Amino acid sequence: MTKTILTIDDSKAVRDMVCFTLEPQGFRVVAAENGADGLQKLRSERPDLVITDLNMPVMNGIDFISNARRDAAGAGVPIVMLTTESSPDMKAKGKAAGATGWINKPFDTQKLIAVTKKLLG
Amino acid sequence: MIEQATEAFVLEARELLAELETFFLELEDEVSAARIDEIFRALHTVKGSGSMFGYTALSRFTHHFENAYDLVRDGQLEVERNLIDLSLSARDLMISFLDLGGDGPEAEALLESEDVMRIVSQLTGLTGQHENEAETKGATGTEPVQSTPSQAEQAGRTRFRVRFRPAVDALRNGMRPDLLLRELEDLGSTSVELDVSAVPRLTDLDPTDALIGWVLEVETSEGREAIEDVFIFADDADLSIEELGCEGPLAETANTPSVDAASPAPAVSAKKTDPAAQSVATPKATAMAKSESIRVTSSRLDDMMDALGELVIAQARLEAVSEEMGSPTLETVVEDMQRLVMGLRDATLSIRMLPVESVFGKFRRVVRDLSADLGKDVRLLTEGGETEIDKNVIDRISEPLVHMIRNSIDHGLETAQERTELGKPAQGTVWLSACQEGGEILVSIEDNGKGLDAEAIRARAVERELIDANAELSVQDLHQLIFEPGFSTAKIVSAVSGRGVGMDAVKTTIDALGGSITVLSRAGQGTRITLRLPVTMAIIDGLRVRLGDSVYVIPLSAVEECVEMDEAENLRESGRSLLQIRDETVPYLELEELFGQQARPEAGRRIVVVRVDGVRAGLVVDDILGQSQTVIKGLSIYHRDIPGLGGATILGDGRVALIIDVVTLIRWAETRRGQGPRKAA
Amino acid sequence: MKDENMDITSSGLLLIFRLGGEAFALSVSWVHEILDAQPWAPVPNSGPFAPGLINVRGAVVPVIDIRHRLGLPHSEKDLSGRMIVFENVIDGVPHKLAFHADSVEQVIEYDPSSLEPVPPLGAAWPQDCLRGVIRHGQELVILLETETTFAPPADRFAAA
Repeated sequence: MTKTILTIDDSKAVRDMVCFTLEPQGFRVVAAENGADGLQKLRSERPDLVITDLNMPVMNGIDFISNARRDAAGAGVPIVMLTTESSPDMKAKGKAAGATGWINKPFDTQKLIAVTKKLLG
Repeated sequence: MIEQATEAFVLEARELLAELETFFLELEDEVSAARIDEIFRALHTVKGSGSMFGYTALSRFTHHFENAYDLVRDGQLEVERNLIDLSLSARDLMISFLDLGGDGPEAEALLESEDVMRIVSQLTGLTGQHENEAETKGATGTEPVQSTPSQAEQAGRTRFRVRFRPAVDALRNGMRPDLLLRELEDLGSTSVELDVSAVPRLTDLDPTDALIGWVLEVETSEGREAIEDVFIFADDADLSIEELGCEGPLAETANTPSVDAASPAPAVSAKKTDPAAQSVATPKATAMAKSESIRVTSSRLDDMMDALGELVIAQARLEAVSEEMGSPTLETVVEDMQRLVMGLRDATLSIRMLPVESVFGKFRRVVRDLSADLGKDVRLLTEGGETEIDKNVIDRISEPLVHMIRNSIDHGLETAQERTELGKPAQGTVWLSACQEGGEILVSIEDNGKGLDAEAIRARAVERELIDANAELSVQDLHQLIFEPGFSTAKIVSAVSGRGVGMDAVKTTIDALGGSITVLSRAGQGTRITLRLPVTMAIIDGLRVRLGDSVYVIPLSAVEECVEMDEAENLRESGRSLLQIRDETVPYLELEELFGQQARPEAGRRIVVVRVDGVRAGLVVDDILGQSQTVIKGLSIYHRDIPGLGGATILGDGRVALIIDVVTLIRWAETRRGQGPRKAA
Repeated sequence: MKDENMDITSSGLLLIFRLGGEAFALSVSWVHEILDAQPWAPVPNSGPFAPGLINVRGAVVPVIDIRHRLGLPHSEKDLSGRMIVFENVIDGVPHKLAFHADSVEQVIEYDPSSLEPVPPLGAAWPQDCLRGVIRHGQELVILLETETTFAPPADRFAAA
């Protein structure tokens, strides 16, 4: 069965990148612009994996992760944060909120695919 | 496909940079945490995405910029004039990087250029941070683990004992131990033992807790790092990796520090996230507004307009065919279609409407730079930025507005010292406002400077022979003279205002748009210039013709040719007036008769041959006056439904001319003549 | 909006103008400007109600034949007199129009309590166009109900 990946980022360019990278790998990719939008999509699409940026308007990534974990739709879903090298404490916060893992920004396509495969098999 | 994403990035970046300029300028008046946040986020986005899409030079430059605002966010750096100036310059440089189209020798050259270096050193001077920190390569979050490669690792396969117990929350947080184990298996032969020591009685069991541990022995040639790699996301798990010799465990357990960075406490605290952090309830107004609109490139809109135009024509043809067929059912459907198409046309035209703010926004920068250049203290106030105008109009009034603002600041407003001496506030004000009034948009520029000097204007006008020395003109009329070509009272042509770009050029532009411009001024108090512009604008090429004393315009797109009417070539056949043009018979219509005027015999009349619905027909006119760009002004409800009329326009001499809608005209004429089942009303 | 010709600020003011010797009035708040009478471009097949168009500062404004509307005797296209440019509101939407008046006299203060019904003798004009009469000096000034006076006729397109 095709797995669904939810990408959350306020940059369309990044969302496109994720889409263009993962769709050819056989995944279905859906997108959201910020944490709040992401929560909605989480509930409606029930993705198998979520890749989320941290710095977003309306609701940031950390808050998204916390909320996702409290929601039935988010239980057990791997959530990967996109972090920058200058925010080591964000990783900790993210983990504390319930993130599964992280990818550093900027990321390249190979890395993205590798992490996806690691978490989805 | 990557190009598409890159394009999206460039578009996004440009938008962000445009916004940033506005934000920086706003910081001069008000510093809000929300704004700083937005600024930081914008810089962060450009920096982050830049390196992903091949704009690493831009990214590296932006890093310093971002650092500065990170400090501002934390309250460690204050926003003052210096920083704002620096920000604006840095932003301009970012645009330069974008314009270079990506990494390459030019981008490198720019990065090392004097301008960039200067800005960078100023930024780092403020932030105290340096380039080195920007060059951390992206990694997948591996904590710097000391792993001393032992010789055994390099010599083929090594056995490792891996003890792995995920944190209690791991399953809830999406970890898939099964996948991890499978990854280990992929590295080499593996044996697994379960550790169920932590599993409680069934009645006490929470099935979502991760309570099982594993002990594995892996024999692999890929080395310790490969095993550590498998567990990169498991840094809060209980994990130990022991290197075993080819026979049995080594005593070098010191070589195996457990990757156990994060505190185990989060299992509890994760649930009790600070409710204040869940900021669903406070969307920033601008962010919300952003997600309600989408970006469209201008050319796509144009394409859409063209397609719509074709649709309208095709629909008209459909109507004609339907009439021929005379089926009432079909006619009803066709009528519905016409209504829908008209609705679609109106909706599409409205897409071209943009708020004037898009032009106003630019001017803040202009005012700022100009006041600095001219040594005057000026502020810009705007009102009615949400008023909408056709994009074409906005594009064309942009320059005239800039010119007028320059005039206001250069000639209108006095220096701070002069103003104080006059008892005025030292800071001069320029007001930009827009509002809609009926079918027009009024845009005005006002300043509280010294106003127009009527006497100087009079003197100049006489000198330029624009008016007679004895002419008596009201102050108002004198003021209006500034729009005459060849008029300028600037004694010193300042480099800022430019030479030769006078108010007459501005007036010409506005006239061409079908608008008008007036000035109101009081000596010592200020000047206000008002532009009146049409709300919608369509310009066509039109053929001007004369019918009696009236001038009409026929859209050139419908005109095929013009011929002289020679009485001898009239053929009257079954009530239809026909002409012989070369070897073709063309029916013609007496426009004057159609328009309810007496057809007066005039020598040398002309026929304008138009093509409608694929059929040629001639329209008889008294004279053909010429071709011109015609701005279409819609007819009011009093005249909108009259067949044969497609709008009105204002001629060069100020007279009103009606634009002929050839399609409805011909069709109406035919129905009238045929006195068919459908009545003219 | 301020206008160089007329200062329109308060809605309690009335503009008095003359048609065929009679004095009429309408609220000043919707009067845009008053121009010298000018020839208008005839609109073919427009019918007698809105026979033409004029250029008012770059806008194309329909000319309403108010005499025809009020049932007054027709006057020749007169180049004397004035054009009153007026903004009429129909269903909440403003429409600009112009009409010719023999002369424009003055602006007076309007006291709603002084409005009287139109005397039956003088009711040669369509009732729905009139709000009532006001005494001004020696004569009666007829206050127009502008929305109905200038409303486009239902059968807009009347073949000549």
